[in-house]
Amino acid sequence: MQEIYIILESKPMIEQIWFPLAITLKIAVISTLAVALAGVIISYVLARRDFRGKWLADILVTLPLVLPPTVTGYLLVVLLGRNGFLGSILYNITGWGILFTWQAAAIAAFIVSIPLMVKTTTAAIEAVDRDFEYAAFTLGRKELDTALFITFPLARKGILAGIVLSFARAVGEFGATLMVAGNIPGRTNTMSISIYSAFQAGNSELANMLVIILVAISFLSMALTAKLVNSWRI
Amino acid sequence: MGIRVDFRKRYYRKKSDKKRGIEPAFLLDAKFEAGNELVVLFGRSGSGKTTTLQCISGLLEPNGGKIIVNDRTYFDCHKQINLPVQERSLGYVFQNYALFPHMDVKKNIAYGLKGWGEEEKDRRVREMLHLLHIEGLEDNYPLQLSGGQKQRVALARALAPKPDILLLDEPFSALDMIVRMKLRERIKQIQRELGIPVLFITHNHVEAFTIADKVVVFHEGHVQQTGTPEEVFYHPNNRHVAELVGMSNIFEDAVVVEADDGSGTVLLKSGEMLIRASNAGLRTGDRTSWGIRPENIRILHKDMEGTIQESNIFSASVRSTVNKGSSRLMALEVTEYQGLLLAEVPNQLLENRDLKTGDVCTIRIDINRIVLF
Repeated sequence: MQEIYIILESKPMIEQIWFPLAITLKIAVISTLAVALAGVIISYVLARRDFRGKWLADILVTLPLVLPPTVTGYLLVVLLGRNGFLGSILYNITGWGILFTWQAAAIAAFIVSIPLMVKTTTAAIEAVDRDFEYAAFTLGRKELDTALFITFPLARKGILAGIVLSFARAVGEFGATLMVAGNIPGRTNTMSISIYSAFQAGNSELANMLVIILVAISFLSMALTAKLVNSWRI
Repeated sequence: MGIRVDFRKRYYRKKSDKKRGIEPAFLLDAKFEAGNELVVLFGRSGSGKTTTLQCISGLLEPNGGKIIVNDRTYFDCHKQINLPVQERSLGYVFQNYALFPHMDVKKNIAYGLKGWGEEEKDRRVREMLHLLHIEGLEDNYPLQLSGGQKQRVALARALAPKPDILLLDEPFSALDMIVRMKLRERIKQIQRELGIPVLFITHNHVEAFTIADKVVVFHEGHVQQTGTPEEVFYHPNNRHVAELVGMSNIFEDAVVVEADDGSGTVLLKSGEMLIRASNAGLRTGDRTSWGIRPENIRILHKDMEGTIQESNIFSASVRSTVNKGSSRLMALEVTEYQGLLLAEVPNQLLENRDLKTGDVCTIRIDINRIVLF
């Protein structure tokens, strides 16, 4: 660890900020895109379908919200490691280990932020009056068509709120990321991990800068969303 | 052509009730036939009207029976036919209109025209705007419309894809009287122009009477009577129907004391009251129920009191009155009977008489207006 701090400190400040910022945004954007897509589908099914084991599906998707990030991270390491269930399949096919890469960090961000997306979006879809959907059916529109053009547009405030929360959660992800992706300078040192490192190394100047940027990103994403939502009539 | 409905739908309190063989909490048994006419499904809230409409539309699946519209089988339990809603070619107007709030009027109306060419679509939307007299509203959003306008747009949207049947679920319940009257007329005209069956739900008996070609009366999930408005309103076949059509005075304790005397009437004893009614095949000793609408109880002019020797003249005291503006509702206690009668008397007939609580008057119950069931 001592070596890492030395490397960090020896680089110019701008580089020490630039890489964590870029990797954090890359991870957050990719994980949020995946969360948005998967979250909307899962939420629609949870809100509009009745099936056996629905309660279990609901709990499983919410679990990462209440589990300590270390537990989520540990389970991901077990799952994605070279000897893990998914990790071994991936390794056998591609010869590539996913742990300690930015992709692993993106998966961790996906897992910890999907409950926020699903909870918010499910509530928003449930709040859409079913008569709108029934009206679309009586007008000859199939369920997928209706979901895309009636249900989701009417639930868009909730869907957007879910996306923003998930993005903010992904940007700030720390615990699970540290376990599955480590803290490898120039590879997996995201903003929140870099803040911790800088703080540990006593580099308060760097820590301050990173904190300010992180707060600014979160603040901006919230503010832009609020502005956008306010411009929507429905 | 027309519609043939004969199905059942069961509702259980809990899913497990069905498996355990517990009786359903609500059983809908819908059975009626109609031509290409305006059919009113009439009954109280919770009597099964909306469920019937939802089963016909395919939004709900019945547990048994069949639904045939214009010779097309929408549902047949035995043949395992259950057409999806999308393939039933129907127009449905929801009680809350269900206009898509994120689309303007034009897009709302065109929503059911999937697969039409742009030009055709445009022409159809304009036709619909014209048919419902809402030209000029096409760029408005539902939030900017009044209740009556929303209703017209909902109708336009339902009619745009040229449906085989139109289903209307209490479409006017949120509108004021004048808008209601205009729209009733419009719907009647549209039904005649299009010649398709129109099913119209209402719990308002005035609305049912004014709009219907045929009335189907529901009570607690069962069809009680089907017929023209005149048949149902003037000859209700049981107590439930009588109550629904506004017959506030119903007596179930009558016994025929005299029949077949050649006059075509029967003499009934109801409490201590002896009352004469047109005979409908009753014999002496039969038990029956009778009813009279409040507006068919006449209060006789003071000069006439005691001068006429007719049947069904009673002396009554006024227990309470409510002025409805053009008429007055009065609760009358007939001297020979312990029960109360509700009478509705036009105010102009009472011009020079201020009947107050406690006053005594003479009333006549018209023989021909008494309904036996």
